[in-house]
Amino acid sequence: MTRVLVADDSGTMRTIICRWLEAIGMKCTVQAPNGQIAIDLFKTGGFDLVLTDWNMPGKSGLEVAREIRALDKQVPIVMITTEAEKAHVVEAIEAGVTDYLVKPFTTEMLVNKLYRFALDP
Amino acid sequence: MNPDSIEPFVSATLSVFSKMLSLELAPQAPLVRSSRSPHYDVTGMVGLTGKTTGIVALSLPQDFALTITERLIAEHRTEIDADVVDAIGELTNMIAGAAKARLESLQLSLGLPTVIIGRDSRIAYPSRCTPVSLPFASPLGPLLVEVGILL
Repeated sequence: MTRVLVADDSGTMRTIICRWLEAIGMKCTVQAPNGQIAIDLFKTGGFDLVLTDWNMPGKSGLEVAREIRALDKQVPIVMITTEAEKAHVVEAIEAGVTDYLVKPFTTEMLVNKLYRFALDP
Repeated sequence: MNPDSIEPFVSATLSVFSKMLSLELAPQAPLVRSSRSPHYDVTGMVGLTGKTTGIVALSLPQDFALTITERLIAEHRTEIDADVVDAIGELTNMIAGAAKARLESLQLSLGLPTVIIGRDSRIAYPSRCTPVSLPFASPLGPLLVEVGILL
């Protein structure tokens, strides 16, 4: 089962994302309310996928992506954010983000985006 | 604010409620309120900074805010709690973010959302701007998006 780390300062958004992750057979292993906690949790190991918001208190999702990518060249990182400008997408890709989903999203948009990262789809 | 500046906020609000809640809103005629107090019981606010500055606010009646939260987190709510505050803050954040993407030339950045409960306070929009109120109707109740940006 795909083990997922979800970093978003909004509990509502973490709940929505985790509900649909579980619906497609992924395990929402850990929910992190800010960037630093996400990085600290990632260091404990065992994650197959990282989902992160961009704007969070303290370390941003961009910093999360950079630090996790420095630790792990392979793990997919998906940025789920309101930051929709092309310049932000480019900045995120350069930071090591694998894929990008803009809020607001429909359930179908979320599931289609994440399904390809499932280990046993 | 001219109509070209208002339209991104109308579109953003329609998009957020349609995508996140499967709720189709009907935009009403924009208006200017004399009051700076929150229009309804629960009001999310997000600050914008960049080549200009301002605030985007989303205000809803309590029952509407509770219903929205239930739909988002799939848990029943009977009173305003931390989950309702978080849900309204996140929706406000998404409206501001989606509109910001349409106003790219202003190079705006979003602040973190804050939420006011009740109508007794006053929203401190930038002093030289006149906020524009964007009312919407929906099957679940009315809501108001207010945009106060120096343009």
